[in-house]
Amino acid sequence: MGARTYSRSTSLLAVLRLSVLTFLADPQWLVPSLIAPVIFGLVSYELFTGAGPWFVLYAILGAGMMSMWGQTLYGSGWATGQDRHLGTLEPTLTAPTPYVYVVAGRVIWNTLAGLIGGAIVFVVVAITYGHPIPLANPLLFFLMFVFVIVTLAAVGVVFAAAYVYTRYAGFVQNVGEFAFYIGTGCMFPVVLLPFWSNPISLILPPTWALDALRYLAIPGYQGFSWGFWWDMAGAVGTTCVYLAIAGTVFHRVERHVLEAGDLNDW
Amino acid sequence: MATTAPLRSSFARTFWVNAIFAPRTSLGFMRLDFVLGTIFIIPLTQMAFFAFVASLSGTPGGVAFVVVGNAVATVTYSSVFSVCQTTDNEKEAGTMEHLLVSPANRFALYFGRGLIPVLCSLATVAVAIVYAVVLFHVPFATGSVGDLTVSIVLTAFAMVGFGLLLGGVALYLRTSIILGNIFLFLGLLLSGANFPLSVLPLPLQYAGDLLPLTWGIAAVRAGLAGAPMGTMLRLWGYVALCGLVSIGLAMALWNTFERRALTTGSIARF
Repeated sequence: MGARTYSRSTSLLAVLRLSVLTFLADPQWLVPSLIAPVIFGLVSYELFTGAGPWFVLYAILGAGMMSMWGQTLYGSGWATGQDRHLGTLEPTLTAPTPYVYVVAGRVIWNTLAGLIGGAIVFVVVAITYGHPIPLANPLLFFLMFVFVIVTLAAVGVVFAAAYVYTRYAGFVQNVGEFAFYIGTGCMFPVVLLPFWSNPISLILPPTWALDALRYLAIPGYQGFSWGFWWDMAGAVGTTCVYLAIAGTVFHRVERHVLEAGDLNDW
Repeated sequence: MATTAPLRSSFARTFWVNAIFAPRTSLGFMRLDFVLGTIFIIPLTQMAFFAFVASLSGTPGGVAFVVVGNAVATVTYSSVFSVCQTTDNEKEAGTMEHLLVSPANRFALYFGRGLIPVLCSLATVAVAIVYAVVLFHVPFATGSVGDLTVSIVLTAFAMVGFGLLLGGVALYLRTSIILGNIFLFLGLLLSGANFPLSVLPLPLQYAGDLLPLTWGIAAVRAGLAGAPMGTMLRLWGYVALCGLVSIGLAMALWNTFERRALTTGSIARF
């Protein structure tokens, strides 16, 4: 009888299924990642009241992105942390399936959950606004929204890879949360930030994607001077770089584990 | 033959032992890096975030208003969010049963655990106010240092009391994280941190009035503006009242929980 083999896609689907089931078993965990964005959205909406009809989009986009941060980036970053917490990091890393496929399954679910969170935030702020949201092209807006999530997930995958080497994942994500909101300009254009900080912002794929989304959604938006298409090119380019970095780091992680035999050093 | 009196720890000893040990046990997540990040990084980034939002909205005086409000609101991380998680940590460590059969004075025990969060809260608000004045150029009446200090100290104590109250509520929940998250951010909406409470619907204004953070922010704003002593005393009174009511309710909840646990012989249901 030959050994039963599993393909990488089978493993990926199994992890995705497990992630969905884990979420459904205790869906209350969507609440913590929604509370902050909903409240930030309402606070921003209140601050923007009287600033013009388009500013409601700043509140929606910003709060939606925060929700996606909570579910997509935080969840993906924690994809490694949870293995460390449960003591399953070493066994998972030594399984025949490359670890990146295990993380990818979790990231795909976190991305979908992030979309759900973003939609809920959109609805709450829209109800508070009490008028139709001024969207010229809702379908294109939705597609761009999904693209922003993908760019966030790319950051999350890099975090997940880096967190194998550190026990400070929670610290970085909690303490760095507002810094990330500022750096990516989730509630305001990055051009408002001091010029010296712009290169740091441009390292992050969501900065480009959010700027492109605002160019698409807000007439007369004053973002980066290069405009929508270069924003898109920058978003795609930086996302690819992030995914390449994550793949390389995961490859190195597996080599390190096989050489060292454990991950206790980190 | 020598008689042995029952060994009973003093109030002060229970308070002190819990204050010393809590950061290593039920507040074990409050490592030095976490504490330093809470004191020095979170206030700066949170204030900067809302300052940029306010500047984009173009509201006159908006930046100074949100900067001060968020400077005080950051106290919630170390006072409310951290303290209310002590219940979870007791349950996770399996030490809740031992705590319930201990003869230690409950007030000393629970408030002792709040000492380090009180100190962290004081440091957080103090650093945030320095950021507000130095980096965001918030007007500061130099003669009001004393008023400001009293406001900050009272707010820190009241907020830790509120955290203990949430910890008491969390006894009946499977996890306190959701409760902690709700009150971590709810203050930004209901306490007047980012806009005057008067713009909210009336029921939400009443809800905001029940939060110690609302009165703490009002006291700090008044202190920074050099408000007369009569105004300060009234605001301090509200902050102290909110804190005392929170602590009283927290003790009542803990006592009720203990009685139920002793009656049923189990805390597993929680």
